[in-house]
Amino acid sequence: MNKFILLAFFSCLFFTAGAQALFITKDAKINFNSSTPVEDIVAESNQATTVLDIEKNVLKFSVLTTSFKFRRALMEEHFNENYMESPKFPKASFNGKIVSAVDWKSEKPASVDVQGTLTMHGTSSEVTFKATITPGKSKITASAELKVTPEAFNIPIPSAVRDKIAKEVTIKIDAVYAPYQQ
Amino acid sequence: MTKKKTIRLILWIFLIGLIAAFGSIYYVFNMPRRNVSVENAVYSLQAKQLISDFRNDEMIATKKYLDQAIAVTGEIKSIRTLDNHSMVFSLEDAMVGVSCTVDSADVVKYNTKLSQVKPGASLTFKGRCSGMLMDIQVINCVPE
Repeated sequence: MNKFILLAFFSCLFFTAGAQALFITKDAKINFNSSTPVEDIVAESNQATTVLDIEKNVLKFSVLTTSFKFRRALMEEHFNENYMESPKFPKASFNGKIVSAVDWKSEKPASVDVQGTLTMHGTSSEVTFKATITPGKSKITASAELKVTPEAFNIPIPSAVRDKIAKEVTIKIDAVYAPYQQ
Repeated sequence: MTKKKTIRLILWIFLIGLIAAFGSIYYVFNMPRRNVSVENAVYSLQAKQLISDFRNDEMIATKKYLDQAIAVTGEIKSIRTLDNHSMVFSLEDAMVGVSCTVDSADVVKYNTKLSQVKPGASLTFKGRCSGMLMDIQVINCVPE
């Protein structure tokens, strides 16, 4: 049953990778920041699920949009109801590959390039970003930062609040992966 | 009514209206966070039932449970503490079961009860369903 559900979630990985090549965490941190002279909007979720296949250098992220916490309850309400339309599009996800060579046996931090498809608000967009990966036998740590525009994901920003929301929103990701145990 | 009295009345109405408007804006801007612990659960069910509902049809289950206050009961399979000091209790399956997250403030508030909880025990958590990834996530949970 577990294998079936995991396979459904990470299909592309489980069809191609041995379990020993898979690293997983369900507690990855995703933080986004929209900073303007008028207002800083910061939100964070500690509940992103991510899987890394070190054989194929494949990376997948998924997060529930209602799990983001804001400083104010009103911001959270607007984010979920007006912008992300969470009842309609409850998840955001990333499917991609590490395109740089990685020495997974080294335990030194390495800067790598990641390419893939980011999907949120029901819209997909190709993204490229830098990540820092520190391989290890019992855990792999990864951090990355990318910038996205609401327009790329068809997220409408009313003109009345255009000055309060940054043209480019910064997304930061921190994950500590553990080997997937069957 | 003299002209002076009429103007004074209009000014008072305007002032009261202004105070009410600012008060409303202030309240909405600083409105308190939703407190699921004081809400009545819309659905009270076994974790196995919740898992089955999501596995059968994720879209229908999401429509039914998303953002609703639910009380979910199940066997605890794993307990994790996150960097932000919140705790995650996985019911029925550590990987693909129901993950109930208790926020750090509630971890402190319910410390006596939560510190005694061990894997294998059965417990009910009330919280807000935020949907399904690999597991079904219930956030802002408190033990019942």
